Amino acid sequence: MLRNCCGLIVADDRRIQLGELSRPRALSAIPFGGRYRIIDFALSNMVNSGIKTIGVSTYNKYQSLMDHLGTGAAWDLDRKTQGLYLLPPFINSESYGMVGPSDDLSGVINLYRDLKHEYIIISSSNVLMNANFTELDAFHHERNADITVMYNRDGAKGGPPNTILDMTRLGRIKGVYENPLNPVSNRSSLGVVFMRRELFVQILGDAISRGESNVNIDYLLKQYDRVRVYGYEFKGTALRINSTQNYFNETMRVLSEPERSDIFWPEQPVFTKVKDEAPAIYSDSCVVEDSLISDGCLIQGAVHHSMLFRGVTVSGQAKLTNCIVFQDSHISEGCELENVIIDKDCIIRPGIKLIGQAAYPVVIGKGSVV
Amino acid sequence: MKKELLAMILAGGQGSRLGCLTTEVAKPAVPFGSRYRIIDFTLSNCTNSGIDTVGVLTQYQPLALNTYVGNGHPWDLDRSNGGAFILPPYQQVAGSDWYTNTANAIYQNIRFIDNFDPAYVLVLSGDHVYKMRYSSMLQEHLESGADTTIAVYEVPWDEASRFGIMNADENGRIVEFEEKPAKPKSNLASMGIYLFNWPLLRRALIEDEADENSDHDFGKNIIPKLLGEGHKLMTYRFSGYWKDVGTIRSLWESNMDILDRPDDIDLRDKSWRIYSRNPVKPAHYIASGARVRGSALTDGCQIFGDVEHSVLSHSVIVEKGATVRDSVLMPGVIVREGARLEKVIVGMGTVIGRDAVIGGRSDTSNPYHEARLCSDNITLIDGGLTLRDGSVVPGNAMVHNGVDVKDADSVIVDTEPVPAL
Repeated sequence: MLRNCCGLIVADDRRIQLGELSRPRALSAIPFGGRYRIIDFALSNMVNSGIKTIGVSTYNKYQSLMDHLGTGAAWDLDRKTQGLYLLPPFINSESYGMVGPSDDLSGVINLYRDLKHEYIIISSSNVLMNANFTELDAFHHERNADITVMYNRDGAKGGPPNTILDMTRLGRIKGVYENPLNPVSNRSSLGVVFMRRELFVQILGDAISRGESNVNIDYLLKQYDRVRVYGYEFKGTALRINSTQNYFNETMRVLSEPERSDIFWPEQPVFTKVKDEAPAIYSDSCVVEDSLISDGCLIQGAVHHSMLFRGVTVSGQAKLTNCIVFQDSHISEGCELENVIIDKDCIIRPGIKLIGQAAYPVVIGKGSVV
Repeated sequence: MKKELLAMILAGGQGSRLGCLTTEVAKPAVPFGSRYRIIDFTLSNCTNSGIDTVGVLTQYQPLALNTYVGNGHPWDLDRSNGGAFILPPYQQVAGSDWYTNTANAIYQNIRFIDNFDPAYVLVLSGDHVYKMRYSSMLQEHLESGADTTIAVYEVPWDEASRFGIMNADENGRIVEFEEKPAKPKSNLASMGIYLFNWPLLRRALIEDEADENSDHDFGKNIIPKLLGEGHKLMTYRFSGYWKDVGTIRSLWESNMDILDRPDDIDLRDKSWRIYSRNPVKPAHYIASGARVRGSALTDGCQIFGDVEHSVLSHSVIVEKGATVRDSVLMPGVIVREGARLEKVIVGMGTVIGRDAVIGGRSDTSNPYHEARLCSDNITLIDGGLTLRDGSVVPGNAMVHNGVDVKDADSVIVDTEPVPAL
């Protein structure tokens, strides 16, 4: 467990757009895995690692995120002395209309300057994993590092944005490349960084005073010629959500093993907002196979290799294959859907046929009636 | 801190007719309906009726119940002013005692209630499955100018002699109360839901406590006493789904009602949510080759086998080739490969060994046969057990550690404490 460490989650990334899915919400507020939002994984990793003070930097479209996080009670972060801090852009009369990009960290300096924790973990929100940071902490001290970043060997596999690390044999970073055409290695940052809080504040302060724009997580890594930056390899399942296609592929991956157990690792629960849905009800005529189903679903039709979020209705004679259906959407009688992502509160009317391709899923935007 | 209405939930009873299910857990904390514990219904009714101060009177095996209710957060009862209060019996300078009966339990908490200086006190049971708008009951209570209002439920005439029956006039005013009458004059059964004007109840409780001949029971003593004194007692007719899950058969039946009569209790009603403490588990997984039909499932289940017409609580695993039919599996139950379950209630965390055959026809010669508590070929398996591979347990049986069998005949290979949550 990490003692004396605070957290920061960068809830959005200007480089990542998921079309219809990110239109109504920040990246980290996109639903994932049946009953979660993307941010639940980063938050739960921190909470499960013993971190009790967590800031969430947001940029715009944060209504859905705020609604999800609330007081932080679902993560036990509704504390008097510590807890959850939502950090919308810091705007005053001088900076009005000049807010930096969504992943810019300069706005959070006030909170982290005032905290007393010795260490900080900063996490992006486009990588989903179930990780405990205890080993990262141990590695950091063993290497006597100033900054340690988690990486795995995905290379540029997830498509842009990716941050490729060039490292010495001992793991010290000697080069940081964003979206390189010819990657020097397959070591790709997972966007999780561990360092002393004071160093973080100092780097931010310097960057602000020099008028640097774009002070993001990669900016911290690029300090490798000034401080000792090390890479720590994460060997578990990490799902990179960089595009709608990624989102679709990675969701389908968690239907199989070992990804499913890895991501929903039972010893380390993933916390999320509680909805108090009824149990899922399976009718006498339904057929469900190889699918993750959430509470509140009512299934009368056929569901194959799909993921249903909370409160989804699949009516009789409807057939879903390779589909992802968000909360409270309604699939009417006789629909046939294949390779489709359906956002929240949609109604697919009787007999509608929507066939996407595995390499190009159809996305139905929030609240649509088809 | 004055409250208009305060609810007191009687949750201290053992529920001995549920057999081994309640050896370590009080009845209100018994898992029910896939996602719930029995007490969730009463607690959610309070929240949904706008009652924000609820005393939960516990006594028998309170660990699971106390842990479950906690600070009342899942029911929005974690309040600065009011909220959920666990009220166990306590020691005093003189006259310390367990809660000897329902009225005595409330009597011992007069000071608690006085703290909130309520005008009305609602006395509830923690072991019924129903959805009732207590605020409507209060509304009727105010409109009729009653001193006490008692919720009543129309039961079939041939069953009326099993209940406490309220004989009321055409306006709904109670003229007589009969406990389990041989020849019932009415079929209006008391649901054990009482709304009292607090000053009146307060006095009645004190007087009843002083009465050495009294059993200190609401139905038997307090209600007849108030009637005798000429107070105005009114009925409040309730016609929705209501089940006292007091026996193994009624527990099984009311679980099956969720599947067979889903509109009656309507758990999906968004305007009247039944809240529960969340287990924090992922969505449930149905594997390739699994078959799930006519069933209710919740978070954390993993199904590789065949589940039909069954109610599964969180984190249940049904392995490949196993079949589960007409059964109720409580949280964390594991059914190993090839096992067959029919009409079985399995307690929390129990592991059913490979190729076991549980349920089916009754066999009076079987050591686990249970004639008194089990009926209708329902088999009950205690929580925390591991059953031997290939075990055979017939219908109308109850498997728990208290059964006296030779080691060689025992189907139990291991026992762990039943988890509190």
